[in-house]
Amino acid sequence: MTTLALTINGRAYGPIEVRDDLTMNDFLREYLGMTGTKYGCGAAQCLSCAVIVDRPDGTSHTNPTCIVPASSFNGKTIRTIEGHAKNGELTILQKTFIEHFAFQCGYCTPGFLNEGQVLLERLEKSPVAHADLDITIGEALDGHLCRCTGYVKYHEAVRAAVLTEPTRFLKDSAQ
Amino acid sequence: MKATRREFVQWAVASGITLGVSRIGAGQAAATPPGFTARETLPGRGKWTPELGRIDGVAKATGAKLYASDFRAADLPGWPSETSHALLVRCADATHIYEGFDLARLSKIARPAVVVTADDVKHAKIRVPAFYEGDLFCPAGKTPTYLGQPVALLIFEKFDAFDQARLALRDGQFLRFGKETGPVEGSNYGAFRFTRVAGPTPDDPDVYSPMQAGWISPGFLESSGRPIWKPLPVAKGGDYVKGATFGEEIRKGLASKDAGLLVLDREFETQSVDPMFLEPECGLAWYDTSSQKLETVLGVQSPFETTESLAFLLGEASPGFKPKVIDAQFAYVGGGFGGRDHTPFPLYVTLAGMFYPGHAVRLAHDRFQQFQGGIKRHAFKMRSKIGIDRTTGKITAFAADHVLDGGGMMNYSPSVATVGATGALGIYDVPKVDVTTVAMHTRGVTAGSMRGYGTLQTMTALETLIDEVACALPMDPIEFRRRNALPPGGRIMTGHAFSVSTRTKEILSKLEKHPIWSRRAAEKRQAKPGFLVGTGVAIATKDYGSGADCSLGRVEISPEGRISIHSDAVEMGNGIGTALVNRVALHLGGRADEVTVAQVDAFDALELVKTGDPFTMAQAAQDEGEKNPRWVPEISSPTSASIGAHVGTQAAAEAARILYRFGLWPAAIALWGIAPNDPRTKQSDEAYWQDDILIMTGLDPLPLKKIAAKAHAMKVVTGVMAHAFSRWAWAQATFAIHGESWTADIDALAVRYGSDGFTRLSRSSVAFPPTDYNRIGVAFSSRCGTLVRVEIERATGKLRIAKAYSALECGQALVPEVVVGQSQGGFAMGVGYALLETLPPFEEGPGNGQWNLGQYRIARGSDLPLHDLEIEVLPPLPKEPPKGMAEVVMIPVVPALLNAIFDATGHRFRSLPVTQTMIKDALA
Repeated sequence: MTTLALTINGRAYGPIEVRDDLTMNDFLREYLGMTGTKYGCGAAQCLSCAVIVDRPDGTSHTNPTCIVPASSFNGKTIRTIEGHAKNGELTILQKTFIEHFAFQCGYCTPGFLNEGQVLLERLEKSPVAHADLDITIGEALDGHLCRCTGYVKYHEAVRAAVLTEPTRFLKDSAQ
Repeated sequence: MKATRREFVQWAVASGITLGVSRIGAGQAAATPPGFTARETLPGRGKWTPELGRIDGVAKATGAKLYASDFRAADLPGWPSETSHALLVRCADATHIYEGFDLARLSKIARPAVVVTADDVKHAKIRVPAFYEGDLFCPAGKTPTYLGQPVALLIFEKFDAFDQARLALRDGQFLRFGKETGPVEGSNYGAFRFTRVAGPTPDDPDVYSPMQAGWISPGFLESSGRPIWKPLPVAKGGDYVKGATFGEEIRKGLASKDAGLLVLDREFETQSVDPMFLEPECGLAWYDTSSQKLETVLGVQSPFETTESLAFLLGEASPGFKPKVIDAQFAYVGGGFGGRDHTPFPLYVTLAGMFYPGHAVRLAHDRFQQFQGGIKRHAFKMRSKIGIDRTTGKITAFAADHVLDGGGMMNYSPSVATVGATGALGIYDVPKVDVTTVAMHTRGVTAGSMRGYGTLQTMTALETLIDEVACALPMDPIEFRRRNALPPGGRIMTGHAFSVSTRTKEILSKLEKHPIWSRRAAEKRQAKPGFLVGTGVAIATKDYGSGADCSLGRVEISPEGRISIHSDAVEMGNGIGTALVNRVALHLGGRADEVTVAQVDAFDALELVKTGDPFTMAQAAQDEGEKNPRWVPEISSPTSASIGAHVGTQAAAEAARILYRFGLWPAAIALWGIAPNDPRTKQSDEAYWQDDILIMTGLDPLPLKKIAAKAHAMKVVTGVMAHAFSRWAWAQATFAIHGESWTADIDALAVRYGSDGFTRLSRSSVAFPPTDYNRIGVAFSSRCGTLVRVEIERATGKLRIAKAYSALECGQALVPEVVVGQSQGGFAMGVGYALLETLPPFEEGPGNGQWNLGQYRIARGSDLPLHDLEIEVLPPLPKEPPKGMAEVVMIPVVPALLNAIFDATGHRFRSLPVTQTMIKDALA
């Protein structure tokens, strides 16, 4: 057993004793009932289970949860799809996902949303040239699997989110 | 005092306790969590409904509990607070006698509370529904019928026990097998022959066709189970002999040495693949012993069928296993693609609940298990012969033989075989055709329904063959297709014409004029050093509907003008909820405030009854049945076969039309103060909606809210539920509503006046489509053509799709964004099928329980031309209704890719998938 304490969507959880081989995905879904984070493959191949991990230095990255022990998240701060909207107000990315019909069945959406959000926050810190935007989005989202959409509308939605505030995310927003 | 969720979390955090599997805060939290139906009602009253977007958009973008896999007992009011978990044990051996299992490797705390085996099911007198015929669990002492056959359910009270056990048992080595027997032999699942000989001119009747003579099947089998297709030299065989004699004549003609006839004889093989929906199958069941009520939460494409199957499963069970009530609840589905249509998985969820009474039990596949036990696409072996008059460039005859691997259970194999066979001519007009098909039983994982359903396989073989023909003649591939396209009104293989638009030539023109096509030679010449460039074209037609399709719809309006829609159609990404909203809004102005889908019991007021099988019933049986005004040939259909737009919204649309005509319109008349004898009272079709304002020339615009309030005050119609049935044509019935005769494409109707309950209205007459329409095979069809340009690196064989274009016709698009999205998704699935995905048969395949997404590659974003994929949807013809399109958009992608690879490399691949290694080897 391992003691686990972490912050999820701004709220402290633990310390809690958990089995060493309990996955983070099961901790979220079975222990906490937070099923916004999905289980897709159990092999870190589809990334529908990915959550955002916020580093102390202010940067963030996504992490699969389906094969990763919950204990490895001890002391970490994470965000899940349930934590994006604040006080009922959707984020820019949630809105563009909806407006662009980015998803169909929606089961892979949490992973895409988390990855897109991390990208937006990265671009805010390190903007890219407008000409590099499509390739940047492509590299960020590749690896997340979707069986319904063909990915096009996910990319369009992230692009639209960037272009809602180009001065915030792009080096050369005037272009 | 009950703690709030927030208070409980804080207390738990402070105490540092081990929480076990009890949900933090749940159960003890909010006094009553929202019920299942409330969670599944979208967007929900008072919730934001964006002008754009799906009605499930906000729920899906915020991680709301929506899918069957999201629910645990603590989420459901009245259920136990804790969830138990079941593990379905499947075998990875189908050639040795199964002798049982040994759980000794499990530690004490990881032992199951209950073990369910074949013996337990037998003793409980559990019955197997006919569609799933066979052993639910392989009994000890028998060889499993197929790889992945379940042998036991292990049920664990606590999650931790379950979790540890599933890890400990994953390798399957705890199952014991004895003597080698070889695979279990089984009869084939169906063998059919489709033969048509057209008359001398298109206007003449056919000489022979399945429509005239009925569908035929040979009565003789080889010892292997394969049919003997040639008529035997004995006076037996009945109707088969006549059809087979015509068929053999066609084959003789193709074998003749006629120099004026180009004949190609080719083999083509397609592989087994997995639907690979992202949400593995799962469900929840709770048998409450005190009330003897079984409740389930499931995610399937066929809710009504599932409910019926569960009732049959337990209908004659021993005391303790036969609930008084089954409350089957159906959730949003995380992808289907056919793989959740008539799946046996809910049977096992139910058994898990019944064998652990008083406990809420969850059964969920992990991905390994989903590969091992989920429905697959049929692998096909095809041999096709085609004859073309070299002078005219017209196809004169076609013959083909198909063999399908159906796997271990019959499931939809006979249907896939017939749909594949009758689709084997694609868009073409061929006067002589003879196609045999047989679906074989094997020890492989069961194959069933999957997007494209037989025609993906047969049209891929056809469209690559057509490309080869065009090269051999030679003739421009698009011109060859145009010259041989079935004209509107032309007869297909079964001897029947499509009853919907056939816009083949429009699509071919679109393809021909597209720069991908017109620049193909230039792009080939300008290929980068070390690269080959090729362009491919293909076109497909795909039926939508099965020939017995139903729609249940219920539309209501409140005094405040809030619209509610309830439907039996399933939301699996297809946007059916949004399509319902948009189609109903055409009649009622406003967008619905709440929509429920996958409803089974929301239409009880219709009091529907059925008898027999709608696909096989005799006309006399239908004539007898329809005397009962509550009788319909079928009550509810799976959401499959691309029926969402066409069928899934039909009943709700007709209900909305009635609600407008007999509810909102009389209320508006009253508000306008128009006298009863004023001719304008009859002009309901002249008024129109501008958003939620009703406009009538010369009269004050009326807001929907005001009209709705008046309708309730007048106690006119404020709610309507309807049932519709299609057997390649809608059933039509007449009802007396408010003293008026109303005829519509529905066969059952109930209405609500004011705030009263629903009242069933008996139809005064009905015309069901005749039962011999079952011979048609297909009458509804959409078309899609695709162009692709590929770039192949010579040294490595690596292929990149540089550009692609698909042109589609689908009638009126109810949600245009979803139509485009499904087309993009179909393109991706086509790419996967053509280039990436494959499941080997038998022991090396998914039945061994070792398959996951590491070995099984589906298309990623980087495999696709995300910024160079153009989808063009043809505008509908005047007053053209919605047509199904979710399958047809995938089909031409596959042969277009193969044809492009040929154009680039000069090599024709005749099996799928075409991998990088295969291309590299071909170029070596």
